[in-house]
Amino acid sequence: MPQFFLNKRLIMLLVSIIVLVALIGFSLREREELTWPEKFVKDSTSWVQSLVSRPANYIAGVVENLQDLQNTYQENKELKKRVDDMARLEAKVYSLEKENEELQEILDKQESLADYEPIQAVRIARSPERWNELIVINKGTANGVEKNMAVITAKGLIGKVKSTTPFSATVQLVSSIDPTNRISAILQAEEPLYGTIEGYDKKNELLLLKGLPYDAKVEKGQNVVTTGMGGIFPKDLPIGKVVKVVPDEFGLNQTAYIKPEANLYDVEHVMVVKKSMISVDLEESLKDSEGEEEGN
Amino acid sequence: MIRFLLPALFAFLFILESLFVELIPAELFNSDRILAPHFLMAGILFLTAYLSPKHGIIYGLIFGFLFDVVYTEIIGIYLFVFPFIAYLFANMIRVLQTNILVVSILSLAGIALLEIGVYQLMLLIKITDLDFSTYVKIRLVPTLILNLAFIILAAYPFKKQFEKASDRLRND
Repeated sequence: MPQFFLNKRLIMLLVSIIVLVALIGFSLREREELTWPEKFVKDSTSWVQSLVSRPANYIAGVVENLQDLQNTYQENKELKKRVDDMARLEAKVYSLEKENEELQEILDKQESLADYEPIQAVRIARSPERWNELIVINKGTANGVEKNMAVITAKGLIGKVKSTTPFSATVQLVSSIDPTNRISAILQAEEPLYGTIEGYDKKNELLLLKGLPYDAKVEKGQNVVTTGMGGIFPKDLPIGKVVKVVPDEFGLNQTAYIKPEANLYDVEHVMVVKKSMISVDLEESLKDSEGEEEGN
Repeated sequence: MIRFLLPALFAFLFILESLFVELIPAELFNSDRILAPHFLMAGILFLTAYLSPKHGIIYGLIFGFLFDVVYTEIIGIYLFVFPFIAYLFANMIRVLQTNILVVSILSLAGIALLEIGVYQLMLLIKITDLDFSTYVKIRLVPTLILNLAFIILAAYPFKKQFEKASDRLRND
C-alpha cells in the first residue's frame, strides 16, 4: 500500500506522536533543573501573572471581607470564649519554652531538626488543569528557594517545591498523586507511630498514611506531623488529623486517612521552609573536607 | 496595535484559567467535584471556526506549549492535544455550517474530547488513579457544565472578534 504511507497527514500524525512520547519522557524523568527556555518562559509568564493576580486577589479579598461582616457577631462570641483559654495556654507555653531552652543549654544542644527559616511568598498562579496540583509562588532561587523545600501555611504543610526559576517557584501540593511524593510522618498517639504519607484519596480529599503497625491503636482526631527524618522537611510541621483507619490489602499494616490541617484550595500566603540544620552540617562537612585536603 | 489584539486575547484567556481556579470560592472546590476551566480550548476552537484552521492550529501549538511549561511541567500533552483537536474540529466544521449554535456545541464536544484524552494520558503516566466512572461523576460532568456556561457567555463576543480579525486579514 504505497499510497497509504505516502499520505502526508498520516506521517505528520505519526511523527507528532513520536515527538509527544519523547517530550513526555524527557519531562517525566527526575530532573535536577529545568532547561533554560523553560525557565525563561516561566519567569516571564510569572511576571505577567503577578501583575494580574495581585489586583484580582485584592478585589476578591474585599468582597470576601464584606461577606465576613455578616457572621461577625457569631464569630465574636465564639472567639471570646477561646481567648480566655488562650491566656492560660500562653503562660504554659512560655514556661515550657523556657524550660526547654534551659534543658537544651544543659545538654549543650544547639540545633534541632525542628529549626527552620521561613521565606514568605505569595501565590501568583495555580494550575487550571487540576491533574497535577501545582501552584506558582513569587519567590525563586534569587530569594534562596531551592528544590524539595517544604511549603507550609500558618496551619500546616501543603507541599514541596517542585522546580525553581530565578524569580518564581512551582510548588507541588500534597494532594497530587506522585509516587515520588512521600513524606515521613509521626502519628502522635500515646506511643508515637511512624509511617509515610503516600498518595491522596481524591474523592474524599484525604491523605493516606501508610505503614502503621497492624496492632497499633489509632484513634480518630490524633495529630500527624512530619518527622524531619526524610532529610528534606523540618520536624514537627503539622500535616493533619486522623479521620479513619483501615487495614491494608495484606493485613500486615494499617493505613490511616488523614484530613489535611491546611486548606489545600485556599492558599494565598505561604512560607517556604528552609531547614536550618542540614545546611549547617553540609557547610561544616565541606569545610572539614577542604581542610583535610589542604592538610594533605 | 490591532495586530496584537488576538495574541493579547489569548494571553488573557491563558491567565484567566489560572485566575479562575484561584478565585472561585473554596467551598465549590472543597465539595466532591473538580471543575477544570478550558477557556483557552474554547477560544482556539472558535478561532478555528471563524478565522481559519491554520490560525487555530498555530495558536493551539503556541499556547499548548506555554500551558505545558507553565502549568503542567510535563511538556507534550497540551502541545499535542490542542492542535490535534483544532484539526479535527476544522474538518468537522468544513462538513457542517458555521452556525453559532453548531460551533458552540462542537466546541463543547471538543472540550469533552480534550478532557477524556488528557485523562487517558494522565492514567497512562500514573498521575491519577481515578477509575472512569468516578472520573465522569466528579470531574467530567461538572467540567462540561462549567465550560458550557463559559461558551454561552463568550460565544457571541468571540464570533464578533474573530470575524473582525478575518475581515482585517482579507483587507491586508
